[in-house]
Amino acid sequence: MADRTEKQQAAQQAVDILHEISTILNCHLDRRTLSICISMIENGVNPEALAAVVTELRKEGQQQQHESAAAAARRQR
Amino acid sequence: MAYQAELAAQCDELVTAVTNIPENHKHRNIYREFVLRSLREHSFLRTNQFEVADRLKGLEERFRVVGRDALADAFRQRLDALEPHWNHTSPDVLHFILELADQPAQKSKLTD
Repeated sequence: MADRTEKQQAAQQAVDILHEISTILNCHLDRRTLSICISMIENGVNPEALAAVVTELRKEGQQQQHESAAAAARRQR
Repeated sequence: MAYQAELAAQCDELVTAVTNIPENHKHRNIYREFVLRSLREHSFLRTNQFEVADRLKGLEERFRVVGRDALADAFRQRLDALEPHWNHTSPDVLHFILELADQPAQKSKLTD
């Protein structure tokens, strides 16, 4: 039990350090997204393919936000 | 099968975390399928750990060349702190972070 807690703490520390590195490199990643991505990489996902997916999802997310904002503005008129 | 289910769940979490699109959104499944397909069918090579190490070293040098010594020190400090936690996936995770780096020498702020 204590061994498991220690392992969890060590994993948390590693994620904290990786998050700090990602912040220094201006990756625009929050801790939650980074944790999900680390789990996916640990499960064998290719890191370069994952980075390409994140970049594409960001674009789609921004586009969705613009569309939602435009729809809200149309409703107000 | 369990692996596929876990990957699908992680893809779903990723879509939520990156796009903020709600779970009941009409395009939600399209995004999840796009992520799953992109991760299954790609032509990227496996991570070369030596190349990752070179890129990290190069970035630290670049920070110093452009006069951002404090940033270079902070970067080095984090890389050293990561060493005790190093495992077989560390080069892959760092590769992922390097791919998403956005002009750190120009744009990064230590206050972040």
